[in-house]
Amino acid sequence: MISFLIIFTLAVGLYMAWNIGANDAANSMATSYGSKALTLRQIIIIAGILEFLGAVLYGKRVTHTIAKGIVPIESLPAELVAIGALSAILSAGLWITLATYYHLPVSTTHSAVGAMLGFGLATASQRLISLNNINWAVMYKIVASWIVSPIFGAFMAFLIFTFIRMIIFEKFDVEAVEHVFRYLQVGTACYVAFAHGSNDVANAIAPVAAALGYIGVETPVWLLVLGGIGIAVGIATWGYRVIETVGKRITELTPTRGFSAEFATATTVIIASSLGMPISTTHTLVGSVIGVGLAGGLASVDLSVVRRIVASWLLTVPVAAGLTIAIYTVMVVLI
Amino acid sequence: MKFIRSVTDVFGYSPFDALHRHAELCGQAVVKLKEQFEAYREGDFERVKKLEKEIDGLEYQADLLKQEIRTHVTKSLMLPVDRQDLLNFLKPQDSIIDYCEHTTHMITYRKMSIPDEMWADLMELLEKVKETVMKYEELVDHVAKLIATSFTKKEVQDAMEHVPQVEELEHQCDKVQIRLHRKIYNAENMNLLDALLLRELVIQLGEIANNTARAANAFRTMVLSR
Repeated sequence: MISFLIIFTLAVGLYMAWNIGANDAANSMATSYGSKALTLRQIIIIAGILEFLGAVLYGKRVTHTIAKGIVPIESLPAELVAIGALSAILSAGLWITLATYYHLPVSTTHSAVGAMLGFGLATASQRLISLNNINWAVMYKIVASWIVSPIFGAFMAFLIFTFIRMIIFEKFDVEAVEHVFRYLQVGTACYVAFAHGSNDVANAIAPVAAALGYIGVETPVWLLVLGGIGIAVGIATWGYRVIETVGKRITELTPTRGFSAEFATATTVIIASSLGMPISTTHTLVGSVIGVGLAGGLASVDLSVVRRIVASWLLTVPVAAGLTIAIYTVMVVLI
Repeated sequence: MKFIRSVTDVFGYSPFDALHRHAELCGQAVVKLKEQFEAYREGDFERVKKLEKEIDGLEYQADLLKQEIRTHVTKSLMLPVDRQDLLNFLKPQDSIIDYCEHTTHMITYRKMSIPDEMWADLMELLEKVKETVMKYEELVDHVAKLIATSFTKKEVQDAMEHVPQVEELEHQCDKVQIRLHRKIYNAENMNLLDALLLRELVIQLGEIANNTARAANAFRTMVLSR
């Protein structure tokens, strides 16, 4: 029974990885396409390889946080952990699919964290653990990181672009500068892909890691490998369309602007990965773009997007948690 | 395309391309206006009619652009210039083409007989008005470069050099205008209705230049008060 549940969880997890590759990874890479730093083919290859490497080499910490940092799975029976993990991944997957369909700026990270929290709350309502056993300190830290990361991205992008504008643009011909940054942007594109893989692979595989019931510190490498492959496949099979669509709409992000936004995003995400904090790469990217805008780098930034993102945060966590509780309850009754 | 979540919403509507196109329409209208006066002088009234229609069409296109900008430049947009400054600049720029339109209709009201000497001044006025608007167009041509460089000092300087030049040309228009008015008010032998219409036309042509200078100033304010 447990192995059946785990296989099912893995299957949905791989779908999540695919969706993350198809949408989030693609969005992070689209800036390089929009500024024509890379061709679509090059982007897909670079993104595929670096997302995979980021997931495998650096994806462990965030996975650990989502898998075991919120719900004390060690103190629960293995079967219930398997059911809970499956409920969580189903809930997150379902919500993300709906959000994708309706173009809502919902984050896979927020869905995964909300879903795991729902699992914890469900077991607490069964009185298997008490509410206090849920690691609220970690939960608060995660929520704080969601607020801090876009602001940090904005701040860093602001500084980088201000430097480019006040020092480099004043001294050199802008067209020549953009030309040089086109090459530099290949580097930041890789950086973003690596960072994204390292942080977001967890959203797909952390519930699987939890279901496997690993009591030790390690997340199995093969799981990170599978997650990485899922993301790469997502980019190659659907992400290229997203890159094309998004890239065409953001042509005003010239290489210098793209570089600033990408460097700020990737650095923020890598720091979060080191700290084991699951953050939203796309929200950080939006923050970084706003930072470039604040530095006077863009013709127009629509700040109403901030309101929609905040609304999606506030909506996603309770919805993902509630959905998990519902699925969990049904499964516990049936099984 | 359906199945997509994207970050593109953060990129808002940019009014600068539309503003530039709007300025180009002003330039086209004033060129045609001069052609229309030439056709009128030669007695080619069919061509006068045709040009009237064309200028009317240009004004309509400009109007659509103005509406597009006014509807899309909302408070949630963060632009590299002040939103109000931008709208304050759009207004006189739109008046340039508005006055071209008034003039193009007005000249068709009546077949005036105008003394040759006044025709010469009138054509000089038209030429000066055209030069003013052309110089102004050069100023607005800088918009794309200003955005691309994020308003570097050098680029701002390059653009701002055009403002006093527009003002100088506008001043020259004034001089011709005054000379013409003086002649009109002393044309004892001229048909009164002809004189009345001609006087009105000169005023309208002057307004084209006035609003061009106004728009250039508003452009400067917009760029410098960022």
